[in-house]
Amino acid sequence: MSPAGCSHVNGFKVDNWKQNLRVIYQCFVWSGSAETRKRKCVVEEGGFVPDALKITFKAKSCMCHMCGAHLNRLHSCLHCVFFGCFSKKHIHEHAKNKRHNLAIDLLYGGIYCFVCQDYIYDKDMEQIAKEEQRKAWKLQGIGEKYSMWEPTKRELELLRHNPKRRKITANCTIGLRGLINLGNTCFMNCIVQALTHTPLLRDFFLSDRHKCEMQSNSCLVCEMSQLFQEFYSGHRSPHIPFRLLHLVWTHARHLAGYEQQDAHEFLIAALDVLHRHCKDDNGKKANNPNHCNCIIDQIFTGGLQSDVTCQVCHGVSTTIDPFWDISLDLPGSSTPFWPLSPGSDGSVVNGDSHPSGATTLTDCLRRFTRPEHLGSSAKIKCSGCHSYQESTKQLTMKRLPIVACFHLKRFEHSAKLRRKITTYVSFPLELDMTPFMASSKESRMNGQYQQPVDSLNNDNKYSLFAVVNHQGTLESGHYTTFIRQHKDQWFKCDDAIITKASIKDVLDSEGYLLFYHKQFLEYE
Amino acid sequence: MKMEDMSLSGLDNTKLEALAHDVYSDLVEDACLGLCFEVHRAVKQGYFFLDDTDQESMKDFEIVDQPGVDIFGQVYNQWKNKECVCPNCSRSIAASRFAPHLEKCLGMGRNSSRIANRRIASSNNTSKSESDQEDNDDINDNDWSYGSEKKAKKRKSEKNPNSPRRTKSLKHKNGELSSSVNPDLYKYNYSSGISYETLGPEELRSILTTQCGVVSEHTKKMCTRSQRCPQHTDEQRRAVRVFLLGPSASTLPNSDTMLENDSYDAPDGQLIMSRLQWDGSSDISPSDSASSKASTNNSESKRPKKKKKPSTLSLTSAGGGGERDKGQERERGDRERVAGGGSGSGSSSSQNALGLSSRKKRPKLPVPPAPSIYDDLN
Repeated sequence: MSPAGCSHVNGFKVDNWKQNLRVIYQCFVWSGSAETRKRKCVVEEGGFVPDALKITFKAKSCMCHMCGAHLNRLHSCLHCVFFGCFSKKHIHEHAKNKRHNLAIDLLYGGIYCFVCQDYIYDKDMEQIAKEEQRKAWKLQGIGEKYSMWEPTKRELELLRHNPKRRKITANCTIGLRGLINLGNTCFMNCIVQALTHTPLLRDFFLSDRHKCEMQSNSCLVCEMSQLFQEFYSGHRSPHIPFRLLHLVWTHARHLAGYEQQDAHEFLIAALDVLHRHCKDDNGKKANNPNHCNCIIDQIFTGGLQSDVTCQVCHGVSTTIDPFWDISLDLPGSSTPFWPLSPGSDGSVVNGDSHPSGATTLTDCLRRFTRPEHLGSSAKIKCSGCHSYQESTKQLTMKRLPIVACFHLKRFEHSAKLRRKITTYVSFPLELDMTPFMASSKESRMNGQYQQPVDSLNNDNKYSLFAVVNHQGTLESGHYTTFIRQHKDQWFKCDDAIITKASIKDVLDSEGYLLFYHKQFLEYE
Repeated sequence: MKMEDMSLSGLDNTKLEALAHDVYSDLVEDACLGLCFEVHRAVKQGYFFLDDTDQESMKDFEIVDQPGVDIFGQVYNQWKNKECVCPNCSRSIAASRFAPHLEKCLGMGRNSSRIANRRIASSNNTSKSESDQEDNDDINDNDWSYGSEKKAKKRKSEKNPNSPRRTKSLKHKNGELSSSVNPDLYKYNYSSGISYETLGPEELRSILTTQCGVVSEHTKKMCTRSQRCPQHTDEQRRAVRVFLLGPSASTLPNSDTMLENDSYDAPDGQLIMSRLQWDGSSDISPSDSASSKASTNNSESKRPKKKKKPSTLSLTSAGGGGERDKGQERERGDRERVAGGGSGSGSSSSQNALGLSSRKKRPKLPVPPAPSIYDDLN
């Protein structure tokens, strides 16, 4: 019995009470199907029917037995078949007369005890109520709904004994922390800042979801968990990520070595090691070692669809590869950026507001997803024609990850040039990826060029939450990160120094790695 | 009023409005009731108070937005004295110099070969403390772990000795560098040599490919200087090879190419092997991002920092700035890499350069560095 229950329910909890209660919830409170909603069932005279099959359905009969009202907070007696309104105390009368102490509110399913004269919350009864509610939602097509966390008895005790609580509000520094540069490790620091401010990842680690199965001390996921603890500890001095560095160097040998490195490369390597170590979390073995259901895959892995169309027979060969990031070419590189294919229009959707001339992120994405003629030197063997033919190739997003990372290829290494491309690329705070999806491309191919922008479809809407910038040259430079905390508050993370930044600072920055987070998350 | 008796037709507007109003107010009431229940339950279950916070301590955590201080109200750059404990050797290291330390400690640095040489040289002396410290070097230092050649090759191949290292940060610190040379570099010069009796044929062969090797009559130990060591003649070197390895090993490798060729000759097979080993599976992993391969950016060079060193510096390359490429073993269409290491540790970088002055690239060259080697770092 929960602390909010009462002893008077014990009289009710006899025989087949659970099933009876379920019936009440199903029929009177949370009617799942339209049928039971339209009709209200009436129970035969002669007492409460234990066998649910005996209930007959009749139309529109849920009303107060004394005054006939349908509203007025109708309650049903739990001990017998009686409906009475609460506002007019009809149910109270019934309770007194018959000594039936329990009634249920038909609107919200709460149990009222007439002895206690208050609503009570009994654990077992609430369990049944919750289950029935879920069933009803499912039948109604609502699916899962979010339910708030509730502390357990023990947790309540702890919280009561520790009244000095801090809530993370908009004006709170908890969750932010500097990172000491261990010697050219700003590339690591900037990625750590981006990861620790990824909401889903933060939630995963702060709710202790990682159960480590690695024997040794060298689990990178455990270290990541520890990192979150450090960030939310309230300490103000910068954290020294030396253990993290050691672990990364141990597990990703190709990154090891004291020298300046590429942040993007570090991100991929870190995700890879985390993914490998996370795999142990998953009790069941994944069929495909690259598509397990670990948190890294759930958050970061997307599917990139590559369609190769034979120019002769128009047969399409499709492959879908997993990806953790999208690397985008920039104008100013030695490869031509223009022309773009006609009709693929992302700018309408994303409302790029920068003055014409500035390249936008959507321009880069359009280029990325354009059909590309592969040329006569790169003929592909077509299974339809059974010969080598010229073809076009097009990339689109088959499945978007929850966190999409865009990598602007600012560092050019061609035969003649090695340089950093500093072209300004404007990126939006909110990004709609719909035009770049594989499904959109299909509709375009079917002739529906001008798709109406479905503003109600929230599946592909993303918000920016972290920007990694590089200052300097190809050989030597420095990384900093802008991260978003508390909705629209931005901070600049420059190794050990965290300062407040304006949205303008963020949007005017050069941008090297852009992290976007899905705006709306649904239960599966 | 019973529902069955109602029929909406025939009602005039005011009645309809009244009805609509009734429905509306019922809905609002129900919604309010729902909220009441939520609060009631929270209070009764005891978690309603959870929202309460301690105002005093909340104030301590307010964000500060003023010039010259960070969000915690702290002045910049006061963290120079932070220390941490190395997970490998358990020593206390200054945080801003942890990365170079770890590189040496794990045996990945240029200096680690030097240390390993020293260890072998003094392996006959039972100096326990030294061997303990270098134990880790031994395990991880691919130069000297003869058994794990594959592993050794893998790491070596990833670091193209031709790629330039950090250049700019060291350039202007030239003056400082030459004046504060790591004394370890000189210590090496006067090592006692290697005792050939304790080494197996494989080890001997290995050593003799890069070192002088002539056995001293006094100490009975092999000379650890380079193949061009002035103290011994080529005749002597040939003789010792015949003596130790048999008549077939009488030819010295071409010392010219050995010394001046900077590129590390890792067989390609090893490169591919290392790639596969690291990936762990033959399926495409998201880390071989299709998107980065997808672009048609024609970059022929996958090694962003390749730079041929002038041959005059090759002799001193053990102490000089080895040039290394990063992680180019991954097969990507146009791998673009940028170096970003942090200007935060400005002062420490010069000293770190010293620590790293003995690069891995020419691990077996026991050459004493002259101050001029630091020019190479530019």
